[in-house]
Amino acid sequence: MASEVIHTAGAHAEAHEEGHHELPARVDPDVALSELVATTEANGSAVRTWAWILGILSLVGIVSFGVKVGIEWGDQAKWGYTAAIVAFLFSAFGGAPLVAIAPMIAKANWVRPVARFAQLCSLVSIVISIWMIPLILNLPMLIVDGARRRSIWFEGPDVSPHIWAVVALTTLIISSVGLIWAYGMPDFAVMRDHGTGWKQRFGNWAARGWIGSTVQWRTMRMRIGMMGTLYFFTFVFIHFMLSTDFAMSLVPGWRDAIFPMYHAISSIQAGLAVTVIGIWAARKYLGLEKYLHLDQFWSIGRLMFAFTLLWGYFFISAFIVFWYGRSGSDQMWIDFLILGPYFWVFIGAVLLIWFTPWWWLIWNKVRRSYNGTAIGAGLILAGVFLDRVRLYVAAWSVPEERIHERFLTEYPGTVYPDVMDILIMVGAVAASVLLVILATRVLPILSVWDVQQFNLLYRPVDYMKTKVSLIGKPD
Amino acid sequence: MQQRRTIDQIHTNRVLLNGQLDTPKWWAPTVITLGIIVAIGFFLIGIMVNKGLGVTGLSRPVYWGLFITTFVFWVGISHAGIMISAILRLSQAEWRRPVTRAAELLTVFSLLTALMFPLMHAGRPWRIIYYIVPYDFARGIMPNVRSPLIWDPVAISTYLTGSTLFLYIALLPDLGNLRDRTTGWQKAFYTILALGWRGNPRQWKLQTVGGILLSALMLPIFVSVHSIVSWDFAVTPAVEGWHSTIFAPYFVIGAVHSGVSAVVTMMALMRWLWKWEDFIRPEHFDALARLLIVVATGWLAFTFLELIFAVYGLDAPEIELRDMQIFQWPWNLLFVVFVFTGYIIPVGMWLQKSVRNNIALMFWSSLFVNIGMWLERFMIIVPGLARKTPFVYTWEAYRPSGLEWFILFWSLAWVTFLMLLFSRFFPLVPLFEQKESQTFGDSIKIGRARVPAIVREAD
Amino acid sequence: MTLQREKRDYSWGMVVDVDKCTGCQACVLACQAENNVPLNLQDRFERARAMQWIRVERYWEGEFPDIKARFIPIMCQHCENAPCEPVCPVFATYHNNEGLNVQVYNRCVGTRYCANGCPYIVRFFNYWEPVWPEAFRNHLNPDVTVRSRGIMEKCSFCVQRIRRGVRNAERDGRKVQDGEIQTACTQACPTDALVFGNFNDKDSRVSKMKDDDRHYTLLPHLATDPNVVYLAQIDTDRSAGSSHG
Repeated sequence: MASEVIHTAGAHAEAHEEGHHELPARVDPDVALSELVATTEANGSAVRTWAWILGILSLVGIVSFGVKVGIEWGDQAKWGYTAAIVAFLFSAFGGAPLVAIAPMIAKANWVRPVARFAQLCSLVSIVISIWMIPLILNLPMLIVDGARRRSIWFEGPDVSPHIWAVVALTTLIISSVGLIWAYGMPDFAVMRDHGTGWKQRFGNWAARGWIGSTVQWRTMRMRIGMMGTLYFFTFVFIHFMLSTDFAMSLVPGWRDAIFPMYHAISSIQAGLAVTVIGIWAARKYLGLEKYLHLDQFWSIGRLMFAFTLLWGYFFISAFIVFWYGRSGSDQMWIDFLILGPYFWVFIGAVLLIWFTPWWWLIWNKVRRSYNGTAIGAGLILAGVFLDRVRLYVAAWSVPEERIHERFLTEYPGTVYPDVMDILIMVGAVAASVLLVILATRVLPILSVWDVQQFNLLYRPVDYMKTKVSLIGKPD
Repeated sequence: MQQRRTIDQIHTNRVLLNGQLDTPKWWAPTVITLGIIVAIGFFLIGIMVNKGLGVTGLSRPVYWGLFITTFVFWVGISHAGIMISAILRLSQAEWRRPVTRAAELLTVFSLLTALMFPLMHAGRPWRIIYYIVPYDFARGIMPNVRSPLIWDPVAISTYLTGSTLFLYIALLPDLGNLRDRTTGWQKAFYTILALGWRGNPRQWKLQTVGGILLSALMLPIFVSVHSIVSWDFAVTPAVEGWHSTIFAPYFVIGAVHSGVSAVVTMMALMRWLWKWEDFIRPEHFDALARLLIVVATGWLAFTFLELIFAVYGLDAPEIELRDMQIFQWPWNLLFVVFVFTGYIIPVGMWLQKSVRNNIALMFWSSLFVNIGMWLERFMIIVPGLARKTPFVYTWEAYRPSGLEWFILFWSLAWVTFLMLLFSRFFPLVPLFEQKESQTFGDSIKIGRARVPAIVREAD
Repeated sequence: MTLQREKRDYSWGMVVDVDKCTGCQACVLACQAENNVPLNLQDRFERARAMQWIRVERYWEGEFPDIKARFIPIMCQHCENAPCEPVCPVFATYHNNEGLNVQVYNRCVGTRYCANGCPYIVRFFNYWEPVWPEAFRNHLNPDVTVRSRGIMEKCSFCVQRIRRGVRNAERDGRKVQDGEIQTACTQACPTDALVFGNFNDKDSRVSKMKDDDRHYTLLPHLATDPNVVYLAQIDTDRSAGSSHG
């Protein structure tokens, strides 16, 4: 009997394997500490150059933003691309922290080196809140021409969408900062003890007297749990609000119960992609090969693959109901949002979000390579961007006076981005990336304490003829 | 996983094979009682086929009622198997091990039961052959592939085939075990079924690869089955409450909710009836309850979206339908029962660690979930039809007849009957999984602490 | 594939002038007699299983004493884009090349899915085997199948009359003339509220009537494209005409 069991273990291993890859070696705690703290200083000049470039780009974005406000204020159709980029940033960077939160709850060991970067992405909500201002102000009121338009706020006060957008944004910023802080406390203490200059002073302030006592660790876990949950619920709410108030309810006749979920699913997909690209860059430019292994890429790659398929599923769920239903509003959905003015954008989105990553990531060899996973992630990001353009630009192009129709019968034409739109979009992305890069100057891009725990809880061991890893699961 | 328990393999063999080698005393009387109920049920179905569907409470426009509800209910329950054995297998959750077989079994039997409902519910069941076999090529009349009712049997029979294979592959090592421990006709029976299983490395490898491949292949089927069932409803723009894009994932997550709860019910029963306290542990219930909290909350979010976007259009008939569904007697009572049993009571209970580790409470809470989930389907299907379109003139209510209620009851007895019959011949807890989990469990010493650990194959 | 409306020889349809309808139910009775529809006894109505291929819906408008009864006859709308057709697993219902939505009793297995798909609720299921009193034996129409239990049935635009009319015309080498074919309900209607004819014939009565200013179709937002066109009721004593649907 005993031998049976052992054979099973062997068979498990072989079943998965094509090319065996070496189990990652454990890293000495002191080395890990000094190397990870050093990343906050690493590549000083290169980072400075990039920061300048990104800073200028974001400044250009903000300036063209101001110009656009000056000339095109109040013209709803002109703000479609701004809405699209806001939705995209929300989806991509806002979804990333979930990559940290969910596996942490499931006690997955692989996520530990990745969690910090994923959480830092949520800082982008600060950038988004600036870009959201014109959108919130240009959103039609609930009562248009004396009659109430369709919205999820039903009989609510006239400015409900506007107020809730502000509330949701504020909560998101608070919860993302809270999450980063709660999770970063031991690392702030590390900066306090091992950093220099202003970082040391900042670490001293932010660590709130962290000494690593049992009580502090327990409190910290509780805080992470609370902040993580808060972030998750804010995330869900914000997708619900964004997808309905800023897209669906602007198009008369578009009644699509799955749309908020679809929005959130593609957001998590994009969040995974951002995380992959982030750790890929960290590995390549910050020399963190010792800490970021195939294990991380493989696990995220697998999730990315799963969410790619889920995207297809959620899309089909909506599509088949409209396509088969053939009622007036059903036909409108297909004619306007798919076959209509943004047909080629839609084709591009489907190819990039779903079809190509599907057949790319299904290949185990790809998921077992750093570059392959990163390419898949890049495709997905581009696809999600196109998808947001398709949905939001179309929704914002519907003239306000037609909002009371039962469903749209004539569709507005394609809206192309003008120079300002492009600059605003580039600026928004630049500002987001810049913010994350700046954050990694304060906190190590890989969390020191989590990397240490990863090493503690993981042992490569020999098991009969094969090598396996032993992973601790503390309660 | 909390405490590592060592159970030696002899003990494992002796206790887990008690259903086959040492059948408990309660087994025969229970099976006979259930058999009588099942026979009465078949008799009533016979009457219904013979006399016509007039014996039900169906009307116009409530053309689908309790039978279709029960069909959806059993398809939902069938999602337990793949959820537990494939998804948790692919995500390497260790606690799945003792319940995999029971969950797959539930899948197979509930699918078999589910398939019977649309058949008996058709006006002329004997003509359903039109459905299944493409016929009459000369006149070019094939089954209409555009109809969701053609997608249904295709998806369900694929799922049934896959699940049966899955169940069988996982049964092989245990069949070999039984063959070596029986004599006479039983030995011959197990010898044939075991397909020459000797437990050599090649066989283990094939068995594992087969299991993993089937897990991966079954996942899309798992999702598609209940999606297709939901599209039976969702593609119909005429029925206000049905034409919703959210139906596919909403049904799937609801199915997981009810299926996993049914597994909890079954685990408690198995633990009590066969005295498997050593193998079905409170920590298994705890893990399932944690999973269920997540699933149930996700499901609640879908329910919420479904309701919000039903009212979102502000169409008068839709509002009228929701008014009936939520506020009018007796639907308001059903709605309250549904919300409380489907979510509030069970999840409220599962949030307490003491409940999660209490088998009796877990048993009752899981029963609640399935009452709630049955009601959910009922409240989607019937009010939608009863308040169809603005033609107030045709609005109708629906009261299921006694015969329909008995057939619902019959289906419960029928599934239990099949399960018990199975348990007489095959072990309900996979022995080899149990032993494998013993081998995979380990611990790491960190400083002064010992942390439970798990063996993972190298990537 | 079904032919487009314009390419057909005939595209049968009906125009219902709601303004003329008095709610006398003569059409219902005529239909019952013509098409061998089972008798609707009291319990059929009580259990909501009554079969009326054409029904006259009655709605009250206003409060007593300023109250008005509104009538609207509803039968199968023979939609061009019929929701009942694609859902049938056995092709028991489909669109033929004369614009009729036909029901093939022999193929039907009784899933009742078409009835769920129909927004006008004009499809009927035979819950029991139909029975007629002894005296009715010889009253059944020999041109129409008696439906057995377990299948769906609905208004066929009196397809037996259409077939006979087309056959006669083909024999004479001509096309069917306007008014030559009458369904049972149009024939029975005392106020001429129901008119049957060929929409493809530009000069037919229905073609002229359907372009009336008062025309509308039932549940237009479902885009079913019905072949039954209604003409709205005009109230002389009220400013706005009221029409249902």
